[in-house]
Amino acid sequence: MEFRFSPEQEAWREEVRAFLDRELPPAKAFDTEFVEDDELWEFALAFTRKLGERGWIGLTWPREYGGLGRPVVDRFILAEELTWREAPIVNVIGWSLAAGTLLLFGSEEQKRRFLPPIARGETFWVEGLSEPGAGSDLANLSCTAVRDGRDWIVNGQKTYTTWGSRADVMYLAARSEPGSTRHQGISVFCVDLKAPGVTLSPLYNLGGGRQNHTYFDNVRVPGDRLIGEEGRGWHYIMNAFYGGGSGYAAHMSFQRMLEEVVVHCKTHRRGGRLLIHDPQVRQQLAELAELVEAARVLMYEGLSNAEQRRPPAFAGALTVVVLKEMRPRFAQLCHRILGPLCQLKPGRFAPLEGHAEAWYRESFANHAGGTPQVKRMVLATRGLGLPR
Amino acid sequence: MDVELSLQQQVIQSTARDFFAAHCPLSRVRELEADDLGYCPELWRRMGELDWLGLTYPEALGGAGGELLDLFAIYLEMGRALVPSPHLASAVLVGETLLRGGSEPQRRELLPRLARGEAIAVPALLEPEGAYGPGGIQLAAAPEGSGYRLDGAKILVPFAHVAEEILVAARTGPGPDGVTLFLVPAGAPGVKAERQANIAGYPLFALLFEGARVPAAAAVGEVGRGFSLLEPVLDRAALLQCAEITGAGERMLEMSLHFARDRVQFGSPVGRYQAVQYLCSDIAIATHLTSLLARQAAWRADAGLPHRREVALAAAWASEAAQLVAHRAHEVQAGHGFMLENDLQLFTRRAKHWEYNLGDARYHRERVAAALEG
Repeated sequence: MEFRFSPEQEAWREEVRAFLDRELPPAKAFDTEFVEDDELWEFALAFTRKLGERGWIGLTWPREYGGLGRPVVDRFILAEELTWREAPIVNVIGWSLAAGTLLLFGSEEQKRRFLPPIARGETFWVEGLSEPGAGSDLANLSCTAVRDGRDWIVNGQKTYTTWGSRADVMYLAARSEPGSTRHQGISVFCVDLKAPGVTLSPLYNLGGGRQNHTYFDNVRVPGDRLIGEEGRGWHYIMNAFYGGGSGYAAHMSFQRMLEEVVVHCKTHRRGGRLLIHDPQVRQQLAELAELVEAARVLMYEGLSNAEQRRPPAFAGALTVVVLKEMRPRFAQLCHRILGPLCQLKPGRFAPLEGHAEAWYRESFANHAGGTPQVKRMVLATRGLGLPR
Repeated sequence: MDVELSLQQQVIQSTARDFFAAHCPLSRVRELEADDLGYCPELWRRMGELDWLGLTYPEALGGAGGELLDLFAIYLEMGRALVPSPHLASAVLVGETLLRGGSEPQRRELLPRLARGEAIAVPALLEPEGAYGPGGIQLAAAPEGSGYRLDGAKILVPFAHVAEEILVAARTGPGPDGVTLFLVPAGAPGVKAERQANIAGYPLFALLFEGARVPAAAAVGEVGRGFSLLEPVLDRAALLQCAEITGAGERMLEMSLHFARDRVQFGSPVGRYQAVQYLCSDIAIATHLTSLLARQAAWRADAGLPHRREVALAAAWASEAAQLVAHRAHEVQAGHGFMLENDLQLFTRRAKHWEYNLGDARYHRERVAAALEG
């Protein structure tokens, strides 16, 4: 058993911190409403490119694809530091879903073609999975890709396309086998979002970000933009996240929020005393700390399984359920501590510079990648062996 | 990073599982609840032979020189088997306190006998107001002659009726630095034990001290430094109890899953219904996190790293989990679970004891808050 990082690994952490000290002024930390702010957007793109220049996007990928071949623990440490600093990373889908699919299932030629631009932070991918009729039930998707010579003609609609208006390409799941239903006959394509026939309409969300409907009207997709094999799309989507990587460490997001709330409690009063001296607030802060630690040990367990090559307990679903359900619970508990001022956006008297108001709105996004209820179904059936 | 028990600890765990399955089935647990002793001296003797009583004592004092995590592995199985035992009270709380702060005569006299299972010694800490920590200690130790006179009451003292010695936390002065530990012979004049009937059917006692006199040499460690001597041992004991809660939780999960797969209503195993699936998931989550949080803290304790915050977090979680798991399991097993003939209620009632033993969620959360405050 080893519940800590080695001195070498901590030295890597210091290297990451030094980079962030130089390249990430606190004022440029992630503002969820930055999608419509061109200046912040440019900064985020440039910052992501700097990560790419150092090889840190493809940190764990083989060198021949633009990676550094480093161990998963280094990716974990990088994610911890990026998350804690709220680094404005873009192209999450490129790093994770697209790269994961390519690394696990792409042909050698495809890996050499698609991965290096992702690694350099040059090609910006977005996700094209959900449709108006296919959310939790992704297998209900109806977007089609019909063979035309060596190309494909795509028709249909995707929705909840996060950052679509800023991206280069889409990781698109479409039905490529005529007459196929459910999980069968789905293929994955890399679609140029500037291609004729692609249009976007904005969807502004409660978290303050901009998502999109993306419409495909006879969009021509060259044959060499099929990723992996035809008809294997479902398998790729279900397993891709194991191959790629993430720049996000959930426990550090919660830890950051806790630290900000504690600072507030040490410096603000209510009813004649500092909040930190209020017995009820103390209990609530401790509850927040329990949640942070729960998230941390689950993430450590995930890292531990990856390093020791052990299959995760409970089919990997227990951690996902806990982290998803934790988001709204955590934000609401912060609000209980802060009292009525929690509802204020940045401005006079707003606690935490209005952060808690933003956290709360963002916390309703815990459905992304699968609702907690769907993940509970996976936990119960695949994780605990209960009947479907 | 590796969060799993070492191979050696896993071997200890599976040895313990087989041992308790053979020598302490649930039918025996029921018998022991009805029995005055409340534990099995034969089992206790066997555990002594396996070196499980003095597992963490140095070999020179009759121990096996093992780590906290080695004991943790055994406690996982003690929880799974619901073994009623003076181990936590005697081998850990009193034994390790003496190890850390006892005088040479105290250590030499008692520790090897505790390790061999020839003597049992238990701590008397909590008082009738039910406040944990040094602030809750009101039992007075007033200087008298060359010794002290003890007056006051203690509650929920485990296995006092079979103990040779009682480790009493008493007040010799004001404030958190005014607590002193004393080793008091169980049958001493002025000490009266009264059995306290309780939900778990566990052998718990109130100890009433009226003019009980002890010599100065009965003090364990420095006068006034009792709580700082005791606190690290309380932390270790709390983690072992987290392991017990984990083992019991895993067993309750298995019982609930088994029931959910077998019980057919409305033409389907009830385990197909999402509400029932949610209940089972809740048990799995609460138990798994109890285990991980406690393992982290225990690892830090063995590594010699500061761990008070991690212990408090684990213990707060475990205290809530103990009763949450019981509630969920009963909702799965419904009418069947409510019947005494069903084994579930054995775990439910012991879980209530664990929820409050050595501190509750509120107490541990206050300790977490103190750590956050800095």
